[in-house]
Amino acid sequence: MTQEQTDLTIANPKMSARDVKVFYGPKQAIKGVSIDVDMDHVTAFIGPSGCGKSTFLRTLNRMNDTVASARVEGEITLDGENIYAPTMDVVQLRARVGMVFQKPNPFPKSIYENIAYGPRIHGLAAGKADMDVIVEKSLRRAGLWDEVKDRLNDSGTALSGGQQQRLCIGRAIAVEPEVILMDEPCSALDPIATAKIEELIHELRGRYGIVIVTHNMQQAARVSQRTAFFHLGELVEYGVTSDIFTNPRQERTKDYITGRYG
Amino acid sequence: MTAQRLPTDWKSDAMRKRIARRYGAERRFKLAGLAAVALSAAFLAFLLFTMMGNGLRGFTRTEIALTVDFPASPLLLDPNAITDEALANANLPMVTGEVAKKALGGDADALLSPTAWISIRDAIKADPKILSRTETIRVPASTAIDLAAKSKGSPEAEAEVARLKQQGVLSTGINWNFLTASDGTDPTQVGIWGAFKGSLLTMLVTLLLSFPVGVATALYLEEYAPKAWWTDIIEVSINNLAAVPSIIFGLLGLSIFLNFLHLPRSAALIGGMTLALMTMPVIVIAGRNAIKAVPPSIRDAALGIGASPVQVVFQHVLPLALPGILTGTIIGMARALGETAPLLMIGMRAFIATPPGGITDPATVLPVQIFLWSDEVSKGFVEKTSAAIIVLLVFLLAMNGLAIYLRNKFETRW
Amino acid sequence: MTGPAILLLLAGLGAIAWVSARARALRLQTVARATGRRDAVHSLPGYHGWYVALWTLIPAGLFLAVWANVSPGLVTQAVLADPAAQSLPLDAFSRSAVLGEARAIATGLQSGAFNPASQALVEPYSAALNTYGVAGAVLALILAFAGGAYAFTRVRPDFRARTRVERLVMATLLVASLLAIVTTLGIVASLLWESFRFFSMVNPIDFLFGLKWSPQSAAMGYGNDDAFGAVPLFWGTIFIGAIIAMIVAIPLGLMSAVYLTQYASSTVRKWMKPILEVLAGVPTVVYGYFAALTVAPALRDLAVSVGIHGASSESALAAGLVMGVMIIPFVSSMADDSIAAVPQSMRDGSLAMGATTSETITRVLIPAALPGVVGGVLLAVSRAIGETMIVVMAAGLAANMTANPFASVTTVTTQIVQLLTGDQEFDSAKTLAAFALGLVLFIVTLLLNIVALRVVKKYREAYE
Ligand SMILES: Nc1ncnc2c1ncn2[C@@H]1O[C@H](COP(=O)(O)OP(=O)(O)O)[C@@H](O)[C@H]1O
Ligand SMILES: [Mg+2]
Repeated sequence: MTQEQTDLTIANPKMSARDVKVFYGPKQAIKGVSIDVDMDHVTAFIGPSGCGKSTFLRTLNRMNDTVASARVEGEITLDGENIYAPTMDVVQLRARVGMVFQKPNPFPKSIYENIAYGPRIHGLAAGKADMDVIVEKSLRRAGLWDEVKDRLNDSGTALSGGQQQRLCIGRAIAVEPEVILMDEPCSALDPIATAKIEELIHELRGRYGIVIVTHNMQQAARVSQRTAFFHLGELVEYGVTSDIFTNPRQERTKDYITGRYG
Repeated sequence: MTAQRLPTDWKSDAMRKRIARRYGAERRFKLAGLAAVALSAAFLAFLLFTMMGNGLRGFTRTEIALTVDFPASPLLLDPNAITDEALANANLPMVTGEVAKKALGGDADALLSPTAWISIRDAIKADPKILSRTETIRVPASTAIDLAAKSKGSPEAEAEVARLKQQGVLSTGINWNFLTASDGTDPTQVGIWGAFKGSLLTMLVTLLLSFPVGVATALYLEEYAPKAWWTDIIEVSINNLAAVPSIIFGLLGLSIFLNFLHLPRSAALIGGMTLALMTMPVIVIAGRNAIKAVPPSIRDAALGIGASPVQVVFQHVLPLALPGILTGTIIGMARALGETAPLLMIGMRAFIATPPGGITDPATVLPVQIFLWSDEVSKGFVEKTSAAIIVLLVFLLAMNGLAIYLRNKFETRW
Repeated sequence: MTGPAILLLLAGLGAIAWVSARARALRLQTVARATGRRDAVHSLPGYHGWYVALWTLIPAGLFLAVWANVSPGLVTQAVLADPAAQSLPLDAFSRSAVLGEARAIATGLQSGAFNPASQALVEPYSAALNTYGVAGAVLALILAFAGGAYAFTRVRPDFRARTRVERLVMATLLVASLLAIVTTLGIVASLLWESFRFFSMVNPIDFLFGLKWSPQSAAMGYGNDDAFGAVPLFWGTIFIGAIIAMIVAIPLGLMSAVYLTQYASSTVRKWMKPILEVLAGVPTVVYGYFAALTVAPALRDLAVSVGIHGASSESALAAGLVMGVMIIPFVSSMADDSIAAVPQSMRDGSLAMGATTSETITRVLIPAALPGVVGGVLLAVSRAIGETMIVVMAAGLAANMTANPFASVTTVTTQIVQLLTGDQEFDSAKTLAAFALGLVLFIVTLLLNIVALRVVKKYREAYE
């Protein structure tokens, strides 16, 4: 370890993974990953496709529970609490750790109902007026309010791709999560929509812990302050984004960011 | 921007209670789903159980051991000249009645089935020498006795059964008659052979008509049909025919085949033709799916080496699609075998006491026979109806099993 | 000469034609090949064989088909011209009876005559049958020979036999697929024609909107006015098929599909799905018997024990319940397909929000799958109202307009069966009414199907 690089182990991380292994049936997809995620920085996961970025991301809010063959070992904590402990409630966990998917997946309901979905199931709104406040606030934070405020009853699926993705971000925000996980949120979008999402991530930073998976290194460099490089299920290198891109410690990281493979 | 909201306090009592409630709802919902599946399965089990409970008895019959002292009986037969004609003229029914009166006492006519004399005739035919001695022959009991012995009969019959049991002449045998005889007026003498043969002939006609036409249509539509308004009409027609209620096909058969073409009423031929119209769309739809599943690469390969379009289809596509087509055909035939309503329309509900000899003879089929027996008032028909249902279900099960087997065996993934 | 013998003979001729033409083609082609020109030979010898065989069989076969329809008329004419026919009765009915009997004896179907007049005609009948039989056979054989010979002369190495044979194959396939249209037209034509005759006797308005159904009274000569009001039948059909059966089938079918696709382990799914499908494979006559024998009496006893009036041993409830069970697998497989068509990302999206599985199902999956489910339910309704045996055996014949499920109601299909079985003259309003009912049933099920398929198709496209 060289001097210039910061030690990223923090005293009270928001989320922390220790020696996490994930198996799909007999096949091991994640091979002992340890990492800390905090609220103040955007963390980017990069790496060649199939290296396990999505798999690891999904362990952070236990979405892998929905895959019958998946099995997780090791410890992941949220505010020091093991999220795989039997006492941990998944429903609550997923409300606290929200997720945005690669392909925008608004429900086939109105824009309003899309945003209201989470608060409604979790019982976060005291009434109709309260719900209206939540919807407006979430859409404003997602940067969508001005575009849709006159057509809240239109179907969410009628929006453009970029708007849909911001709607999904707004939907996740509406339940006031602590961490938001984003799995390649811009890979299905055009450059203008991508720029809007990146801008949004800047604005959300600090209020929520944000982890973003991307295969686009420029994007990682633009939006994140911490970057983790995955390869073949291993966490090869984790560091301050500028360090990783200008001064990678590992040969494999260097090869990857200089485009030698990927 | 409105007021800042605080992060949710997930640990609060209210929130904990709410989550517990949600999990309760989740459990109840899952349970409701399980209950729906279980209820459906239970209904099926109940149905099969009822049919078995009633029907298995239909395969057995109560017999009475009748001791016949032939030399002392009023029977006038020469043991050395037993011909069918001699037996027919010997007035065996009357003799049987006399003998029974002597051997069993009471109202002997009420004890024995009207067909009891047939057992005696068969015994004489099998061994004419018994005419010179006393012989114990087991003859079928009457419906009342049969019911009382097997389950629950009228009080009088129950009393008679008790008396006969004491004499030690009651026994239970397999009712072969049920598999070899045809319809009749008395439940002890009916059988399903006639209806079964009718079903067989009808299915034969259905298969011979619907299979070639169905396969040809499927091939044409999948492989050659140009995209045009009239091929659309063919498509729409087939999809509609597949959804038309079966009784409408019966009306078609009645008005076209019987009233317009004057084909023979109640015949397996008409039944088969009517069912073929119903089965054809099923075969076409299954056939098209099977043909669609044959990858285009195989066609391209054959065309590439200079085969004509007809050769490609008949030498390459059809053999590969055949298992799928056969599966669809068997399923369609199984449906036709269970079909009742359209056959009622074309007169296949007549009382047919002799098995049909050919496809133009008046015939009935198994499901219609079940329907006819279900309408009989005599209580003895309940077990016969259920027994016939068991036979029908066994055949349907076998056909569906065969279809599943074929599908699994030849299922290919390209 | 008998029919089967001629057919056998023709088949033999066809086989000979095939073999000889093939042999000839083979020989000629060997010679032609020797010249070395690549295009000298067109079709495989087998195709030449088929070409000649088809020319042998098809003209002769067509002729025989026509002859079979024409010759009975010719035979009858010949018999009537015979002196023995002078004594025939003059009225058409007894005349044809006598002729029929004579024919039966002459063809050996019957051994003796009841009517001496027929006995006299047997002789001329056999003679005429024989003459025309032989004539037909000879003509057919001549045609077969002529066709075969013509085709045989065309067998040359470069003759395009395959093209000709394939053209015929294509034509056959085309004709086969046109049969579907013919059948549809046959249904529509026969229903329309008989209904038209019915509506010339009974006012369509009275039929469609009349409240009293008693065809029996019409048959007994009380006139056709207000005996054919079909509204009670329509009500009974809707009550049983669209209301009671659906109340059973929709929740059970939908919940079964939800459980099997979303909750059940793969083993449970593997076993339970086929078991549910068995419900759809049980013949309807079995359901009908079960409804009449077991369900209906139990329901009546139940109704009586809780003091419901008008409970009948044949009830709408018994028929509807059992029909609902029959429809369960139908609804469940449609729901299964529709739910499976909702993209996985919807489910993931909802679960990632912290929704439970049941919340995801009821708030996202089912609403998203709703058009497909509704389409499936419409198809199920169309199937239920066209179902016959269950209602015939368990619903009864009383044309009641009642909403009491324990009372007996009657349905369109029950009445069709009732009107067309038993004694019937074909032209009475009573029998023709069955076709009018059939027409209504046909139109309604057709519309339901068209709407349902539209809905389902639209829905599928939305997720493609
Ligand atoms: N549901 C699954 N079942 C089995 N294997 C899976 C599943 N999902 C992902 N994998 C495997 O796990 C590995 C990591 O996949 P993933 O996390 O999607 O990679 P990335 O997101 O980095 O492209 C891959 O080899 C992939 O094939
Ligand atoms: Mg990924």
